[in-house]
Amino acid sequence: MAGKDVETEATGNNQETVTHDPVATEPSLMSGTLESLSGLGEDGSSVGSDSEINGLTVRRTDKYGFLGGNQYSEGSEKEVRVDVARQREMKWLDMFKNWDKWIKHRFQKVKLRCRKGIPSSLRSTAWQLLSNSKELLEANKGKFEELEREQGEAKWLDIIEKDLHRQFPFHEMFASRGGHGQQDLYRILKAYTIYRPDEGYCQAQAPVAAVLLMHMPAEQAFWCLVQICEKYLPGYYSAGLEAIQLDGEIFFSLLRRTCPMAYRHLKKFKIDPILYMTEWFMCIFSRTLPWACVLRVWDMFFCEGVKIVFRVGLVLLKQVLGSVDKLRELQGMYETMERLRNISPDTIREDILVQEIITLPVTEALIERECSIQVRKWRESRGELTHQPGRRLHGTRPIYENKRRAALFYVWSSSACFFFFKPPSNPFCGSQTFTLSCYWNKPGGLHRPKEV
Amino acid sequence: MQNNHHKEHLYKILVIGDLGVGKTSIIKRYVHHNFSPNYRATIGVDFALKVLNWDQETVRLQLWDIAGQERFGNMTRVYYREAMGAFIVFDVTRPASFEAVTKWKEDLDSKLTLANGKHVATVLLANKCDQGRDVLTNNGIKMEQFCQENGFVGWYETSAKENINIDEAANCLVKHIMASENDMLQSEVPDTVTPQLEKDKGGTCSSCFRSQ
Repeated sequence: MAGKDVETEATGNNQETVTHDPVATEPSLMSGTLESLSGLGEDGSSVGSDSEINGLTVRRTDKYGFLGGNQYSEGSEKEVRVDVARQREMKWLDMFKNWDKWIKHRFQKVKLRCRKGIPSSLRSTAWQLLSNSKELLEANKGKFEELEREQGEAKWLDIIEKDLHRQFPFHEMFASRGGHGQQDLYRILKAYTIYRPDEGYCQAQAPVAAVLLMHMPAEQAFWCLVQICEKYLPGYYSAGLEAIQLDGEIFFSLLRRTCPMAYRHLKKFKIDPILYMTEWFMCIFSRTLPWACVLRVWDMFFCEGVKIVFRVGLVLLKQVLGSVDKLRELQGMYETMERLRNISPDTIREDILVQEIITLPVTEALIERECSIQVRKWRESRGELTHQPGRRLHGTRPIYENKRRAALFYVWSSSACFFFFKPPSNPFCGSQTFTLSCYWNKPGGLHRPKEV
Repeated sequence: MQNNHHKEHLYKILVIGDLGVGKTSIIKRYVHHNFSPNYRATIGVDFALKVLNWDQETVRLQLWDIAGQERFGNMTRVYYREAMGAFIVFDVTRPASFEAVTKWKEDLDSKLTLANGKHVATVLLANKCDQGRDVLTNNGIKMEQFCQENGFVGWYETSAKENINIDEAANCLVKHIMASENDMLQSEVPDTVTPQLEKDKGGTCSSCFRSQ
């Protein structure tokens, strides 16, 4: 039941040569090579050439599977005590047993436990439950295989293939060309373009998918990716990239409230939010923070939604641009951008970061209010938004409620005279919640049926 | 003589082109003098700074490494702002990336002009030339003619991996940027003295000589 642990998952991946895979038909994907490892040491990593013996890299990975690069952990983080870790695991296992009840009645407790950090042995299952992707998979048994059997559009496959070896090149799961990690990445990114041909593939989806693959098998990772793209961050990866630009405006406006000094500095040097927040938000900080922090952020993100992404960004800006001393060295656009693009991992302490994220007074309501203001401004200055993604759901609780409403509506409508409203059978609606919830959420629309 | 002549220039230079053509590698080679197969795909935009001693002057090049996927094209207006020059890169082993060159050039010219209304100096880079010259030889394109027709100030076959022609291409671009900067200064202040440009700085770029 528990997810594959990163540490054990990663072993032996290097030397493996894959001989057969029915999905990956491209020659470049057929065999694993160590080609890409030969250049370790680039990117400011501490890896020396002595890590290579007879062409095989024998360097030990850190506990997350990184061989080098700037997300390599030196192991200085203090570990949670064994008895505490064990106790946490027991608590999480207990929650898994009655998951829906916990979400319905004791969500605050779930949230608190996500903020404390999900035990690494249970992270995989927890993410799938928090995002409801587990249920989505169960409701769509065989769907992933079906998608895999389809050929896919050449224009997407071409781009995806070019990106396979460019995701976490210092993580041992993705370091070897054509290795397991890269093959699985290909499978789920390709499957997504077939699942949502209207969306296709966006380069920023690859790191997100890779993080998921570090924790779970391809099929699970696929449905988890679906939930992120459709429920948590709808429109982020769509053609036009309007949703991310809109969030950039929202973000900048929130910065004005939370850290006026940083806001004024960025404004002074005309540093548009999309210059620094695009990668942060689209990759959910997976390429920005030390790995221990990435995992803590993702734990909270799955539970509380995009609010966490906004908060992390605000905390980082506050940290980098939040005092006169710090701004003194950053007298220019380039200097500022350089600092924001390369936030030193040494300056980020996991516990302090999490504490600041938790205490920052930026609520869902505030984000939604700011969103409607920015949508209005967008319409005034740039015209109508061309892409209308589904409604953004702020984490586990709204996803759960949405699902319940949809289920109830379905029962109710199929027993009443709404026979024309057939359950969707098109591939865009992996879950029935998708279209129904939009209908249900219309103000002044249908009445909520009595719970049965 | 006083040191009044020691001028500093700061130029923002865009590096654009289809994804996977080697934009990041070219920049890393140029700025950090190395090459690695381990670069991550660029998401959004990245930056690097190169400082050159140019005659008696200092030239700072701010290189903007822009994500190649078409989708990010919606943000290019912000990325292009106030740039003075550009490299458009394609991969000599991939004809499609060459076909995209004109698209990138049009995007650039439609969103960015200099104060005098002219387009920014742009150099075309035929990258990965260590891997073959398929695009250049197979379809009979006359590169000089292509550059003239499409408003490139020059073109180079480059290899970030083997360090071929990257410095030369950059020198060519800088030379043209300085020339257009002088143009603009002259049109604003008629009695400005034009600093001399060294003719051989640009290496083997054919068009550079022509436009002098």
